[in-house]
Amino acid sequence: MSKWIALGSASIAVALVALPGAFGSRPAADPGVSAREILIGGTTPLTGEASSGSGTAIGAEAYFRYVDARGGVNGRKITYRYLDDGYDPGRTVQATRQLVQQDKVFAIFNSLGTAQNLAIRPFLNQVGVPQLFIASGYGGWAREASRYPLSMGYIPTYTGEAQLYARDVLAKRPRARIAVLYQDDDYGRELLAGLKKGLKGKARQIVEEQSYDPTSTDIQSQIAKLKSSRADVFMNFAFGKFAIQAFVYANRLGWKPALTYVNAVAASTTVMSLASEGGTNKRTNGALSAAFFKDPASPVFAKDSGIKLFRSIVRKYIPRGDVRNGYYLAGMASAYSFVDALRKAGKTPTRSALMKAMLRLDEKTNPFVLKGITVKTSGKDRRPLEQAQLQRWQKTHWVPVGKVLTTPK
Amino acid sequence: MSRRLPLAAKIAAFVLFAVFLALLPNWISDVRAQQFAYVGIFFIAILGLNIVTGYCGQISLGHGAFMAVGGYTSAILISGGPKAVAGFPEGSTYLNLWPDFLEGGVKDLYTIPIAGLVAGIAGLAFGLPALRLPGLYLALATFGVAVATPQVIRYFDGVSGGTAGIQLFGSPELTGATANKVDLPGRTVTFNEWLYHLTWAIALVLLAVAWIVLSTRFGRALRAVRDSEVAAASSGISLARYKTLAFGLSAFYAGIAGSLYAIANTFVNPETYRADLSLALVIGAAVAGLGWLSGLVVGALFVYFLENVASLDFLPSGLESALKNPGVPDMVYGVVLILVMLLLPYGVGGGLARLFRPLTNRLYTRSS
Repeated sequence: MSKWIALGSASIAVALVALPGAFGSRPAADPGVSAREILIGGTTPLTGEASSGSGTAIGAEAYFRYVDARGGVNGRKITYRYLDDGYDPGRTVQATRQLVQQDKVFAIFNSLGTAQNLAIRPFLNQVGVPQLFIASGYGGWAREASRYPLSMGYIPTYTGEAQLYARDVLAKRPRARIAVLYQDDDYGRELLAGLKKGLKGKARQIVEEQSYDPTSTDIQSQIAKLKSSRADVFMNFAFGKFAIQAFVYANRLGWKPALTYVNAVAASTTVMSLASEGGTNKRTNGALSAAFFKDPASPVFAKDSGIKLFRSIVRKYIPRGDVRNGYYLAGMASAYSFVDALRKAGKTPTRSALMKAMLRLDEKTNPFVLKGITVKTSGKDRRPLEQAQLQRWQKTHWVPVGKVLTTPK
Repeated sequence: MSRRLPLAAKIAAFVLFAVFLALLPNWISDVRAQQFAYVGIFFIAILGLNIVTGYCGQISLGHGAFMAVGGYTSAILISGGPKAVAGFPEGSTYLNLWPDFLEGGVKDLYTIPIAGLVAGIAGLAFGLPALRLPGLYLALATFGVAVATPQVIRYFDGVSGGTAGIQLFGSPELTGATANKVDLPGRTVTFNEWLYHLTWAIALVLLAVAWIVLSTRFGRALRAVRDSEVAAASSGISLARYKTLAFGLSAFYAGIAGSLYAIANTFVNPETYRADLSLALVIGAAVAGLGWLSGLVVGALFVYFLENVASLDFLPSGLESALKNPGVPDMVYGVVLILVMLLLPYGVGGGLARLFRPLTNRLYTRSS
């Protein structure tokens, strides 16, 4: 009997505490924004083959916790809830629905993958939830903005990046014979298309194109074909282990192109170190790539204040995290820009105010982005990062070369 | 269902189960209804796999491929065919082959049985040559199909949309997704709840069908094939015929599940039907208990919730953050699977049968 009395009084007490809150709160704020918190969500592969990419979500979360410890944004903490999708777009849809319908997030932020974000784009635009700083260089985020105005990317597009390589080749070797290895999906094909666009009338100088399927195991035969084309410029538009294999097989088959380019998302220090085979593979030396973030693994930035901040955040908020992990840094860079936009969105941010702030970014001092690169948007320009700097692999690390360049559309 | 329970008890259990499922959405949240809808989809696929593996003894590591056949059949029909699938060049062969009257798209509900039939035919076609392979070799052949499926889908990008996949959200033929409400007789429900009722209604019908089919002469023949091929053949059972039929029926179930998966995701792409999916189904069937129907729900719950272990919303926050490290959810999956197999070597179905054996034995002795 006493148990029932206790239970009854407890529920009355709960009701008394809860009711004033329920009736007293102002109805103005959008979902996900309370007096003390802004809840945002996203998906990332914590399982499966692409799980290393989840560093972008983990790095972003660490940066938000760092901001929260310093008072948050206008007195509100930012909580970033990311769910695992195993890099399967079907599960991206399920997890995103959970974030929107159950957790009632303010916005979807930093979800990883092209197909994954394509899968949720119509849904998010339909229910009016912003899909921001998509972790993919697919050109369609900006190109199809009139249909999907709530979706926005962050990093330079693959087509823009490849056009930089095209310009660089034409400047260095006007009569180059170019061989291309690319992944047979939207990502690889956009890089190839960008290269052709950049070469313009000289696209015929691509003497050989070889593609591989992302689920295949080995690309030796493709490299052999590229070698037999007697090309003197090699465009390595492969990802992960395939990018490594490309360097290893080029070396074993004795192919010595004068210039080699590696696409930016593949060109992590880890990939390049493995491809260098402990210094025995000289094919990596002098390889060029585009960069827009500072590389935490490069000694060039050892004394850089942004990298110092990065390291202190990793040590404090990512237990057992590697301070050389470039994915963490990429996540932090976009989290920095997101906080920036939130500050611009007013005292009590709404989704429409946030979208407006997203189109008014002008960051010259993002500590994680290379010096000279501005994170900039406007009503007509929905691509936050569109500058890059070439970098050259020197035995053990990347070294920036030349000026900061603007990627063409 | 254990063979030792009397028929009336089995029917009573089935009706209770159906009533419970019908009432469940009243007690759970909208998103939980979505999660249980996915459990229903895995339930159907595992039920189908159980027919060929549990009852007929033929291991298939490729049922994800038949789900893909069903899913793509539905997705292509709902979207209205090649013309509507993004990035498709005008005037190509696929376009000319596609009948005009299908161009407006087909209502999602009608595509479900079609998807099942197409997958079933694909299963029969695959089963005819492949089922002459003994045990392990058949498993390998089916696994080959599972691995090749995403490539094959990419290759036919003119109908499948390639890597970009097919977006169904916004299609007028997809019930309820865009408006997030569906009018059922008597009330209006959300898209998630609609998915729940749709999948479980189909799942219950398919469960009843499987149960009836498996308790006929056909089912006894399948079990005979499983227990001893030599004995079955010498009793006049055509091994090839029964194996192929079982495979076709099982692929039909997988096709239905795949179709529902496409509808629930409102999206298909080659990655949605990866080789892991086939393995997950085998794991689900093993956990459910091969050759029993009573453990299927647990097998389906196991597959769905363990796959999404890092995204569960009801775990204590400490555990949740521990799971949010790359690789940890995979490890948890492995450990839990090993524990289940150690504790319940015959799956949940086998465990239940053992649990009820003293009771059923007594029922038998009293009646005899």
